[in-house]
Amino acid sequence: MLYPIVFIALVASPLALIARLPARSLIAWGLAFIPLTLFGLTLTQAGPVLAGEQVVEEISWVPALGLNLTFTLDGLSLLFALIITGIGTLIVGYAGHYLGADSGLGRFLAYLMLFMGAMLGVVLAGNVLTMFVFWELTSVTSYLLIGYKHDYPDARRGALHSLLVTGGGGLALLVGLLLLGQMVGSYEFRDILAAGDQLRAHSLYPAAVILILLGCFTKSAQIPFHFWLPGAMQAPTPASAFLHSATMVKAGVYLMARLSPALGGTALWDVTLAVVGGATMTFAAIVAMRQFDLKAMLAYTTISMLGALTMQIGLGGKYGAEGVATNILAHALYKSALFMLAGVIDHECGTRDLRRLGGLRRYMPQTMVITALALLSFGGIPIMFGFVAKELMLEAALETDLGTTFSTLAVAAIAITAIAYLITGWRLFSNTFLGQRSTAAMQQHVADPTPGMLIGPGVPAILSLFIPLVLLAPISTLIAAASAAIYGRPLEVELALWHGVNPALLVSLSAIVIGVAMFRFAEQLANMRGWPTWLRGDMIFDRLIERTLTGATVLTRTLQEGRLRRYILITALTMLIFVGIPFISFGLGTIRFDLDPQLQFYEILAAALIPIGVIATIKARTRLGAIIAVGVVGAMVALLFVIFSAPDLALTQLLIEVLSTVFLLLVFSVLPVRFESFSSVWVRQRDAIVATAVGILMGGLVLATATNDSFAPLAPFFLENSLDKGKGANVVNVILVDFRGFDTLGEITVLFIALLGIYGLLRLRQGKDDVTPERVETTATEPLSEPVDTQR
Amino acid sequence: MLPLLLMLSIFMLFRGHNLPGGGFIGGLLASSAIILQMVAFGPKVARWILPVNYLIVAAFGVFFGALWGLPALFAGLPYMQAFWLPEPIPGVGKIGTPVLFDIGVYFTVIGVTTKIALLLVEEPILFPLPEMKSVPVDHQEEVA
Repeated sequence: MLYPIVFIALVASPLALIARLPARSLIAWGLAFIPLTLFGLTLTQAGPVLAGEQVVEEISWVPALGLNLTFTLDGLSLLFALIITGIGTLIVGYAGHYLGADSGLGRFLAYLMLFMGAMLGVVLAGNVLTMFVFWELTSVTSYLLIGYKHDYPDARRGALHSLLVTGGGGLALLVGLLLLGQMVGSYEFRDILAAGDQLRAHSLYPAAVILILLGCFTKSAQIPFHFWLPGAMQAPTPASAFLHSATMVKAGVYLMARLSPALGGTALWDVTLAVVGGATMTFAAIVAMRQFDLKAMLAYTTISMLGALTMQIGLGGKYGAEGVATNILAHALYKSALFMLAGVIDHECGTRDLRRLGGLRRYMPQTMVITALALLSFGGIPIMFGFVAKELMLEAALETDLGTTFSTLAVAAIAITAIAYLITGWRLFSNTFLGQRSTAAMQQHVADPTPGMLIGPGVPAILSLFIPLVLLAPISTLIAAASAAIYGRPLEVELALWHGVNPALLVSLSAIVIGVAMFRFAEQLANMRGWPTWLRGDMIFDRLIERTLTGATVLTRTLQEGRLRRYILITALTMLIFVGIPFISFGLGTIRFDLDPQLQFYEILAAALIPIGVIATIKARTRLGAIIAVGVVGAMVALLFVIFSAPDLALTQLLIEVLSTVFLLLVFSVLPVRFESFSSVWVRQRDAIVATAVGILMGGLVLATATNDSFAPLAPFFLENSLDKGKGANVVNVILVDFRGFDTLGEITVLFIALLGIYGLLRLRQGKDDVTPERVETTATEPLSEPVDTQR
Repeated sequence: MLPLLLMLSIFMLFRGHNLPGGGFIGGLLASSAIILQMVAFGPKVARWILPVNYLIVAAFGVFFGALWGLPALFAGLPYMQAFWLPEPIPGVGKIGTPVLFDIGVYFTVIGVTTKIALLLVEEPILFPLPEMKSVPVDHQEEVA
């Protein structure tokens, strides 16, 4: 039943295009039944998983690569799958209202469904390579979602940043995962998780960890890769709500949590995660506190929370695992609610700038109540789910194995973050709902949206209150199963609101007191001067892209300056260096010169005519003479093929010789009959040296190949199997079309591409409209050879 | 000459599996035949005798060649695993996917070689002859 869960969303995505029709919000709620069904399907699988088992399904996909479509459902996957499909249901319905006036809604929902399917694939994959495929799919689909409003430059920039950062990290991740697979000898998660000790002792372990963490940190927006996430808020709000709360950015956290039983427990893993996570958490919380844009504010708190999750994985231990699982759920609930509420406010007031909002309590009372609920959970105020989660985070910091220094630092960081969250929440609430009715509220009729639009944020906000009050027991089972997967061993989890008076509660309460006391300084804090803009991550990244492009242009201009001679020279020199040097160091010794005693006179004659033809070609004064001399070389080569009984090669050689002579004649017929000397003496000498060197190298290579005994020759295999397996007596042809058919397919494809290139060069230039005038001019005035040395 | 040479090329193509020949050689032979026409009577005559778009011939060749790797996939074998008909077809010989693939090679080689030659011959910068004025018209026919 796991396949349908992953593939229904992917396959059903085109169905979402019907949301182009009128009555869009109704259709969207209808489409919301797809994720709802998936939610139900996931729940039907939950029974054994909660009892501590795993559901595994496997089909072989590319067996040669060890790539299986394995899907596994364990506690961690279950938690994620439920969050993704549950919040997905609300988001799809909500999007129908939010984008109700937008004719692109169908396209948007189709992307959203694709994205959801990809995300489900990531969390359900039981094979690291399968997971990676879906991981990349989330990068691509989130690019589409972020760039949905593609006529805005900011949206394009945000989408590009997200794609480049997460795509670049994805490359590192792929290499890391391949290393992991090589070390274990299997790409299945269950084998990797079982091989923890072997992995940690392996010499490649540090490299694999660093590469995998690069992938996770870029995806989950950890410092210094955090900057793409605020840019991603250019996406329409429903997409932001989904990306930030339930999906995309949580993929990195998911993978770290998934691999922590295998890779964790070393200083490299634990300390890196704790330090990077802690720094990200604190830094982003402080930045969030000072924002004026509702969505930017929420985006930074997301980064902060991702840091907190990363830190808890690093802190490790029982509480670390429980903390990660609980915080993932708590954050998904309040953050999706808050983003959707920001969308509601934006939708109703036409702005989400805190400076232009205010006094909405009289106009949007329902929205205000839901926002208050979500913010209370966000701030970690007692009896909300966020409070339960924060307590566990503090426990993880207090109980960590990393030592007192880390423990103290982590507790301090959490306290600072908690204070910053409170101030952020207060600023968000007071600037929106309290105070004077603002300009934005006066401009248009502002009221609570239709109930349909409030279901989206309402459900998770109310759950944030209900879970600790009513549903703690079932949720505890879910969290227990999830944290067992992170911890690597079964765990008993009893979530509770009241643990008695303990250090965690004291830290938590004092943070709340300090936070509330600082409420009146909130606006002053926000208005303080911050970093100069040029230090911001996204600006630095923009400059980096710009520099890269400039560098690439310079490199291209140097290497591809447009003269054929230069290309040939560069190709020849590259070959001399990269083939010649290894050949001289390793291959020279294998050359043997054994003369065949039965060498015939006519064989020597044919062979001797070849160098004579070559010299004649070089010395020829007219083009026609050169063509004829080259023809002699070709004919003699063909003759040698005949002598040594290779009729196929001889036939091909002759035909090619005929055709190339025709081509040369066609081209040369418009050039002057006689050769002229344009280049200087030293250029000609240089070219002669390079050409001779390449010739000697190629000759040596052929000789070495023919006389090298270190590999078993292939010919007997082909000779024996040609008739039997290839059903043909002509061995050359059987090799071409059967044994090496794939190579031949590649070759004819290259041929065709070459034809397209020539077609483009010759034919399209005739339609002058397609070519910019400068281009035609440069082509026409480009000298065919290097500058004439007039002194000669 | 042209029909004779073309027949020879097809003969070469089919006998290739057991005797010297094959798609590559057959293709080269056929395109030499066409190019011979072109050199002798000019591109217009060559186009009139065999009014086909060689670009499409080449594309068809690649497509056709790639196509015959597929049956193995449906049988769950690696791409391009060979399949053979049990009995030889009279006059043609044994037929299997490698032979069909070779036909793809044949058409690719014909298309590519002939098209390049035609492009060169009809290049107005190289050959600004008055009779070449009709090139754009030909081009339109070719597109249609």
